Amino acid sequence: MGGYGDVQMIDENGIRVDGRGPADIRPITIETGVVPVADGSCRMTWGTNEAIVAVYGPMEAHPRKIQRQDRAVLDVAYNMAPFSTTDRMRPGFNRRSREVSKVTKDALESVVMLELYPRSKIRINIEIVSAEAGTRCVGLTAASVALADAGIPMTEMVVSVASGKINDIVVCDLNKEEDNYGEADLPMGILPNTGELVFLQMDGDLSQDEFKQAWQYNMDASKEIHKIMVDALRGNSS
Amino acid sequence: MNGGPVARPDSMTKGKRATGSRNHGRASLLVIPGEDLGDSEGKEPGHGVISTGGRLKAVKRGMLRDGGGAISVEPTHTTYFPRPGDLVIGYIEGCTNNLWFVELGAPFNAILPMSLGPGKIDFGGTRSVMDIGDAIICRIQEVEETHSSVVTMKGMGLRKIRSGVVEEVDPHLLGRLIGKGGESLRRMKEDTACRIVVADNGRMWIDGELDGILEVRRKLNELSSIAKGGGN
Amino acid sequence: MSIPIVPNLLRDHLSALAHSDERIDGRGQWEGRLLEVEHSILPRAEGSARVRMGDTIVLAGVKFQIMQPYPDRPNQGGLMCSAEVRPVAGRNWEAGPPSPESIELGRVVDRGIRESGCIDVDSLCIIPGEKAWQVILDLFAVSDDGNLFDAFALAGIVALRNATVPAERFEVGDDYPLGVSKSPIMCSYHKVGGRFVYDADSREELGGDERIHITLGDDDNVHSLQKGLKGIFTTDEFQEIMDNARKRTKEIREVMDSL
Repeated sequence: MGGYGDVQMIDENGIRVDGRGPADIRPITIETGVVPVADGSCRMTWGTNEAIVAVYGPMEAHPRKIQRQDRAVLDVAYNMAPFSTTDRMRPGFNRRSREVSKVTKDALESVVMLELYPRSKIRINIEIVSAEAGTRCVGLTAASVALADAGIPMTEMVVSVASGKINDIVVCDLNKEEDNYGEADLPMGILPNTGELVFLQMDGDLSQDEFKQAWQYNMDASKEIHKIMVDALRGNSS
Repeated sequence: MNGGPVARPDSMTKGKRATGSRNHGRASLLVIPGEDLGDSEGKEPGHGVISTGGRLKAVKRGMLRDGGGAISVEPTHTTYFPRPGDLVIGYIEGCTNNLWFVELGAPFNAILPMSLGPGKIDFGGTRSVMDIGDAIICRIQEVEETHSSVVTMKGMGLRKIRSGVVEEVDPHLLGRLIGKGGESLRRMKEDTACRIVVADNGRMWIDGELDGILEVRRKLNELSSIAKGGGN
Repeated sequence: MSIPIVPNLLRDHLSALAHSDERIDGRGQWEGRLLEVEHSILPRAEGSARVRMGDTIVLAGVKFQIMQPYPDRPNQGGLMCSAEVRPVAGRNWEAGPPSPESIELGRVVDRGIRESGCIDVDSLCIIPGEKAWQVILDLFAVSDDGNLFDAFALAGIVALRNATVPAERFEVGDDYPLGVSKSPIMCSYHKVGGRFVYDADSREELGGDERIHITLGDDDNVHSLQKGLKGIFTTDEFQEIMDNARKRTKEIREVMDSL
C-alpha cells in the first residue's frame, strides 16, 4: 500500500481514473489450450495483467518425501517473468512468490478431489508474463480454468478477485495506479456457485462498513468472472 | 459438505469405450466442474459426477451422458490409470535381476516380475530378454489401492514389439478411433494394410509398410485436430 | 531437466524414415514448421516478441537498466541475454536453479546476437565512465515441442528490433528506439535417423543424436556455432547444413522484415 497524499483518483461522480465505476472490474479474456504440450493450460488477461498457467499430471510425486499415501499433492509454483514488471524482476528465489504459491495451493487443494490420486502430484505452473495489480487473483483464477482444461476433478471452480480502498472510497479490482495509492486490499477466492471461500487475505485499513462493502463487491464480481470462465471452457472443446 | 462426495474410480467404464461415440440423435451438453446437474433422486452419479446434499454435480469438464439410470461426464482430457485386465503398451524403463519396470503413460510405473515375463528367463537375465527402451504389449494383472500395478506377458498376443511404431492418442479419443462395433478401426486397417493394436492406455502399435504407417499417422493427426478444433 | 527413456522403436523408425526421405510429421528434410511471429505483445517490456513454431512457443522481453560502464570501456553500455526454461514449458523441465540445458540455450543465443554487432554498444553510453544503458534480453519458454534454440534466437532479435529505450522513465532524456543495425538469424539442425534435418520437433530430438546451431548475419557472415549432444559428424555434412542455413536464414529474415 502506498502513501495517501492528495492524488485524486475518483471524481465527484464516482468515476475512476480509467473510467470505471466503483463496482466495475477491468476487462478479462480467457483462452484455454495455450500450452500445447501440457495436460491443461490457460491464458488469462485481466486489465494489463497476463498469466499463463500449465497443468501437468497427475504424475508420481517426487521427491518421495512430499508423497502422501492417502491423497495427491498440488505442486503450485507462482512466478513472475523477468519482463513482467516495470523494473526487471530478477529470476530466482523470491519470498513473495513463495507465499503466493502457498496460498494458491491451499485454495486449490480445497476443491481438487485429491483423494482420487494417492501418492501423486499435480503440477500447476503459474507464470505472470505481465503484471499490473492483483496478479495473485489472476493466477488463482487462471489455475482453476487450467485444472478444468486438464480434466482434473474439482468440486467447484475458484474465482479470485480483490477489492480495495482509494481516497476513502471502496472500489472493486484496483488497477496499477489505484494500487499505488490504495489504502487497503482485500483479495478473496470464492466458489461462485455456493458463495463459500477458499482464499482470503487483507492488508491496509478498512472500517467494518467498508469491509462489508468490499466483501460484497468481491462476491458480485465473482459471478461475473465465473461466466467468462465458463464461456472459455465451453468454447474450447468438442 | 454433508455425507462427503461419492466418486467413481478415475477411468472410463468399459461399456462406453466399446460402443464408441454415442452422441447420436440428441444434443450433448458440455459441463464444467461445479455445475449443478439436477436432483439426485433416482439417478446414480457416474464418472465425473458426485452426489452431494441431494444434488448431482459435475466435477470434470466434458460431455454430459445420461444412460442406464446414471449421469456421467465423458471428459475432454484424461490421464490413463491402470485397471485389472486392461491391454496396455509399455516401455521398459528399468530392470533388476528378477523384474522389469514398465512405463505405461500412467502416473506410476508398473512391475513385470520375471515369473510373468515372456518364456523362461534365468535369474539375472532380464536385460538380455528385454532391454531398456523396448516396447511391450502386456496386460494389467493387478492394481493396488494406491495405484501400484503389476503387468503380465502370459497370454495371447502379449509380447515384445520388434517392428513398427507406437503412437499415442488421448485415451478419451479411443472410442471415436475404434468406431461403432470397431468399424472405423477395421476400415483404417484395410485402407492402410497395417496391423493395428489399440491398447487401453491410449497407445497404438502400428506395423506394416512405411507408407501404410505414415497414412495411419496422418489419420490420427486428423482425429486429434478435429477433437481439438471443436468439431464433434 | 529429466531425460525420458528413448524408445528403441522410435530410433528404428526414424532411421527407416530417413532412408525413405521422410520425416515423422510429414515434413521435408529442410522444411520448418509453421512459423508465427508477433511483436510488442508484453505491456511491461520495452520490447517484446512471441514466436510460435508448431507447438513450440516462446516469449522474449527487453528491459533496460542504468549501469556504471566497465572501467576498461567507459564509453560502452552492455547487453545481457538470459534464457529460462521453467517447468511450465514441459513435463521434463524441472524447478530449481537454471539447468545446464537452459544455460546453454541462453549463451548460444547471446553469442549470436552479441557477436553480430547488431547493437552499437557505444550508443548506449549516457555519461562516459558514469552511466550507460544495460540492455537485458530475457527469453522465456511457454511450450517446448523441440528446437527452442531457433525460437529463442528469433524472438530475441525481433524483441530487440522493436525495443524503445525508456529514457524518460529514468529521467535521462527522451525515449528513443533502440538501434539494431543487423539481423542475426539462427538455424538449428539435428541428426535424426543418420542424417541432419532442419527444425527438429520433440520426438526427433528424443530419438535423434547431435545438433548443430548456426547463426548467420545479413551478409552470410558466421556469428556463432555450437555443436551439442553426443554424436560425430563430417566436414561434408557440415557443409551441407551450412549451405542450407544460408537459404533458411534469408527466408526467416524476410519474414522478420515484413513485420
